[in-house]
Amino acid sequence: MAAVAPAAEITRARILEAACDLIAADGIDEVRIARVATRAGASTALVHHYFSTREELLEQALIHSFERAGEDRFGEPPDVEQSATSGLSQAIADCLPLAGPQEREWVLWVELWLRAVRDPGLRPVAARLYERYRKWIAALIRAGAEAGEFRSDVDPEAIADLAMALLDGTGIRAMLEDPAMDVQVARALVAERLAVELGVDAAALRG
Amino acid sequence: MIAERGLASTRIADVAERAGTSPPAVLYWFGSKDDLLTDALTVDEDRFYGAMTERLAALERPRHRLRLLIEACAAEYDWALWMELWGRALRDRGAAAARQRLDDRWREQIAEVIRDGQQAGEFAAGDPDDAAAIIAAVLDGLAVQVTLGDRAIPADRMRDLTVRSAELLVGCELAPLDERALAAGPSEEPRPWAS
Repeated sequence: MAAVAPAAEITRARILEAACDLIAADGIDEVRIARVATRAGASTALVHHYFSTREELLEQALIHSFERAGEDRFGEPPDVEQSATSGLSQAIADCLPLAGPQEREWVLWVELWLRAVRDPGLRPVAARLYERYRKWIAALIRAGAEAGEFRSDVDPEAIADLAMALLDGTGIRAMLEDPAMDVQVARALVAERLAVELGVDAAALRG
Repeated sequence: MIAERGLASTRIADVAERAGTSPPAVLYWFGSKDDLLTDALTVDEDRFYGAMTERLAALERPRHRLRLLIEACAAEYDWALWMELWGRALRDRGAAAARQRLDDRWREQIAEVIRDGQQAGEFAAGDPDDAAAIIAAVLDGLAVQVTLGDRAIPADRMRDLTVRSAELLVGCELAPLDERALAAGPSEEPRPWAS
């Protein structure tokens, strides 16, 4: 079995990746098993072997995407070797829908919100990701406060919640191509607000 | 029905049955499910916006109006439908246009309260549109977590974080409203407030 499991894992992951690509490209409501199979280079029978229904496949695809994103992004404590200010500046850029992989991730992010609103079973996935996100930002804020870069009386959890809210709230407008809020405007706005809260120079956070 | 199930699980036939009409009639009026969502949400939004306009007008001081706007968004607004519109607006032109229009109107309502506060000398100077964009972004962002039932962000934390952030932004304390002011309809006379 030990020799079989990794191959099965790889196939399963390939199918999930294909499903994520199609969700990002077409929206979750348009994804069909046959197209996922084609994209993954598998037969529909094989897809059905791993996922008994379309709903299960889509749900597992979102979970797969977010467990991995959480691991990649928030698994490591933020690198504060240079300074907490530059770490936070980088975090702001990493969490907005910049063109490329981050934009794809954001489409999946919005789909996860929607699915989780409709299906309470998915909410723990979203909650786990937000939990990691919150801890990661709060650790940066705490490090900056301890190093004397940020105001010493900040509440790291409250600032982390505010930062996530600003990133999600401006990020969704940028995703929707709001003419008054492209991703660079969003970045400047988030940096400016957090600079006021933390008592640092806005230019340093803007990056 | 869309709020209960999400758009993808809502069938035109079910909507027709609940509305006491036929599926062709629903499609005649709305063209597609995307249009139906957009129109349903617009009706919902117009109702909330109209009621809010009247409740704001019943409050004399801009600081109380800003507090009311934030309280109502945290405690009363149905964000599930609004999040459906976000999802649709990524791909549907009609939904995208509706989102832009409704969102602009909402931010303008916030900006107007901030302008009033600046003119009344209650709020610090600054660009009211920028301030409105920030308050709206904080509400939108926190609403996602409240709506998803994240235990770290219950509705009163959404309210408190937004109030604190708005206070810093406009340089004015936004004290809690009493219950009568929160429930105040258009018929209620404006009353003097202790500051």
